[in-house]
Amino acid sequence: MEHMGYTSSSPNLDAIFSALADPTRRAILSRLVEGQACVSDIAEPFEMSQPAVSRHLKVLERAGLIERDIDKQRRPAKLTAQQMINAVVWLDQFKAFWGTSFDQLDSLLLNMKQTRDKQHE
Amino acid sequence: MSDLPEFVVERSFDAPRELVWRAWTEPELLSRWYGPGAETIVHKFDLEPGGLWLNEMKWGDNSNFQKVVFKEVSPPERLVWNHHSSVDSDWNDAANPMMADWPKLLLTTVTFEQVENKTHLRLLQIPLQATDAEIACFAEVMGKMSGGWGAGFSIIDDILTEL
Repeated sequence: MEHMGYTSSSPNLDAIFSALADPTRRAILSRLVEGQACVSDIAEPFEMSQPAVSRHLKVLERAGLIERDIDKQRRPAKLTAQQMINAVVWLDQFKAFWGTSFDQLDSLLLNMKQTRDKQHE
Repeated sequence: MSDLPEFVVERSFDAPRELVWRAWTEPELLSRWYGPGAETIVHKFDLEPGGLWLNEMKWGDNSNFQKVVFKEVSPPERLVWNHHSSVDSDWNDAANPMMADWPKLLLTTVTFEQVENKTHLRLLQIPLQATDAEIACFAEVMGKMSGGWGAGFSIIDDILTEL
């Protein structure tokens, strides 16, 4: 992955979104948060075949979310691409911003109504 | 203009419009709800066309700064502002560190409609004075967002805590 910038037609973002759209791949990333792991480590808790895990790892690798050690026979996978993850996180924050703020506004309005009603009593 | 990608949020609040309007336009109330989980500090709030809202949101040691320039203030039904989505601590426009092509300016229109005892709120954001790249970026993100992405991002929180 020689270029990490975000241009308008950024293939990275597309790759990230499609990589993360799959619940199994997100679970694999969760596992990798705990530390690097090889295919058999990952396959076990998922009751999944090793070729199936390998396919998922390839998708994650192409998206730049993980990296695999080519020098070692077991080819452990580990998380990379902090920049890309940052971008996705940032988008998540943008999306969640108003919804979460509005939940807080709901509570505030309830307080304001109660205060107002007390004044009217 | 009609070709521009839009971000729309709609929500109904169980309160009369006057109260909702106050919650949006009185800084001491605004700071109590604006900014998810953040300590929100309103540095300046001039509620008039051309007036500034300078806002800081603090999450622990991290601060995020936003600058808003009000364009239209029509109580209690309509607020229009230019939203500078990425500014530095001196309130000057700065590149978005997370996404270079994110629009620097979003025209934001908030409408408050009273429906019986409730208030229906609609917030609309569209890129303003945007480059083709910014418009394309915004359109792409909006497309992804309406695609039911849902809670898929929770994993990212896990990842970040490990960095």
